[in-house]
Amino acid sequence: MAEFPRHPAWAALKSLDRGIEQMEKLVLAGSVLLMAGVNIANVFGRNFLGQTLASAEELNQILMVLITFMGIGYGVRHARHIRMSALHEQLPGPWRKGLHMVICAGTALLLAALAYHATRYVGEVRTLGSVTPALQIPLYLIYLWVPVGLGLGVLQYGLALLGNLMAPGTYLSLHRTEGCEPPEGGA
Amino acid sequence: MAAAGLLLGVMVILLLLGFPMMVPLLASTLIVLLAGFSFLDPTVLIQQMIGGVQPAVLTAVPMFIFAADIMTRGRTADRLLDVAMSFVGHLRGGLPIAAAVSCTLFGSVSGSTQATVVAMGGPLRPKLLRAGYSDSFSIALLINASDIALLIPPSIGMIVYGVVSGTSVGELFIAGIGPGLLILGMFSFYAYWVARREGVAPEVRASFGTRIAALRKAALPLLFPVVVIGGIYSGLFSPTEAAAISVLYALVLEVIIFRAVRLREVPALALSTGVITAVVFILVAAGNAFSWVISFARIPELLLGDLLVAAAADPTLLLAVIAVAYFVGCMFVDPIVVILILTPILAPAIAGSGLDPVLVGTLVTLQAAIGSATPPFGCDIFTAMAIFRRPYGQVIRGTPPFIIMLLGATALVILFPSIALGLRDLAFR
Repeated sequence: MAEFPRHPAWAALKSLDRGIEQMEKLVLAGSVLLMAGVNIANVFGRNFLGQTLASAEELNQILMVLITFMGIGYGVRHARHIRMSALHEQLPGPWRKGLHMVICAGTALLLAALAYHATRYVGEVRTLGSVTPALQIPLYLIYLWVPVGLGLGVLQYGLALLGNLMAPGTYLSLHRTEGCEPPEGGA
Repeated sequence: MAAAGLLLGVMVILLLLGFPMMVPLLASTLIVLLAGFSFLDPTVLIQQMIGGVQPAVLTAVPMFIFAADIMTRGRTADRLLDVAMSFVGHLRGGLPIAAAVSCTLFGSVSGSTQATVVAMGGPLRPKLLRAGYSDSFSIALLINASDIALLIPPSIGMIVYGVVSGTSVGELFIAGIGPGLLILGMFSFYAYWVARREGVAPEVRASFGTRIAALRKAALPLLFPVVVIGGIYSGLFSPTEAAAISVLYALVLEVIIFRAVRLREVPALALSTGVITAVVFILVAAGNAFSWVISFARIPELLLGDLLVAAAADPTLLLAVIAVAYFVGCMFVDPIVVILILTPILAPAIAGSGLDPVLVGTLVTLQAAIGSATPPFGCDIFTAMAIFRRPYGQVIRGTPPFIIMLLGATALVILFPSIALGLRDLAFR
């Protein structure tokens, strides 16, 4: 983490960010564990009891939406999103930092536009009043996580941009500078 | 044609600049939608993104990754390695052959090439170096043998290809086994030749007792591919169910039997799985929106007009074109992204040619495997640089012979499709 000016607004932002990170962790790990539990139970149900959980497929679909969209922000935080960084890394320091800021700003802008359309979409679904067939959960409550996740992505890219503006070094995210990328990058 | 130019132009520029991969896919889709089809509400893009992560078989991705994460932390890798060593270690080139066999075995329990590089590369490279093999050969062997994991079921690449192209994931899994074993055979032969050329002495032959002991210790991990592949092959499990079973198997094995992973470590492993899944799934979601817009704008027909005609006349030519397109793509970009971009573009050509979609899928996955270890940007090269702490030049120095062997395997699969389809036909036809 960078040493940023001790400003109360900054401190508040940081503690908010920590809170969000805890929630993202909980959603990601919880979704994977729940998915494992549901699917293992379902295999046993089908093969030994001759019945499947009608709600299993629906739960899986809900959990996949959660993992996909709620993972955006966490992926930025830990610089895990898959990108082709090889050409970018050949640039000299200041140029690299400049381009990185353009990337943060551009990505945040795109995600913000998507979050806006996603919010409109959630509104439409809510007006239609559709529910899932087995669990009878209103669809809009599930799709709500799409704009929330996209919005958290905007926040993370925004914070990374801020980090780059306020401190020397290239911030891949507010939490991760260049040169400390994790060994594994994806599946 | 203007739409096609705009879409591809925006995509390539953003990709080269180093934007996260979801941006090139989504920005080009959004721009084509706004510029060319202003009568459509952009919420259709959100609808397509959500729809992209709804197919039931995608559930198998986090489940297989979770099982791999548990086993990478545990003892499975060591035990598979010990058993491979005790059986082939005494042959000339035995150590690198055992390394290739272990990587293939670990691939059959993990489904991820990078997990295999991490789990197998760590313990194997020092052994190869101590035995007298050069570092460039050792690293090239490890990253290329790990890529066999992409072909041997379970395979994350095959699940994504199956979902994008609408091909049966179970059939793809079974069809990958033949080419995977062919490549293992080629690598083993090359390892033998290198050992002869360098005059590396074989290891001492393991006693019968040692072999039995290693086999007993590895019995449970070895049973794992039998359960997964056997379950899918016999029709007992769907790929999704096999994935759920593999999580249970990994948990029982590593937490209860080997006691190598503590129960309280499991949530952290689930978090790691969640992150890997999220970064892949956001691309699958973006890829679905991209795929929708390009088929709506009829871009494949605009781009590939002549090829479509030629392909209908000569399917072998089409297979070669597909192989080259995916191979070149995977040299530069992550294989999942290449699959997401190229599959919808080539879909009309494949559908019109009458080619078996499972054969095409196997060939595509093979190219993804080759591309993952091929310069300039194969992703396993960077994984190897990180875990072996070696510069780029040293990591890629030994790769050319492997690339030649893999391209040879590609040619063989194109010329003799039964390498891939033989087992599939036995199981499903």
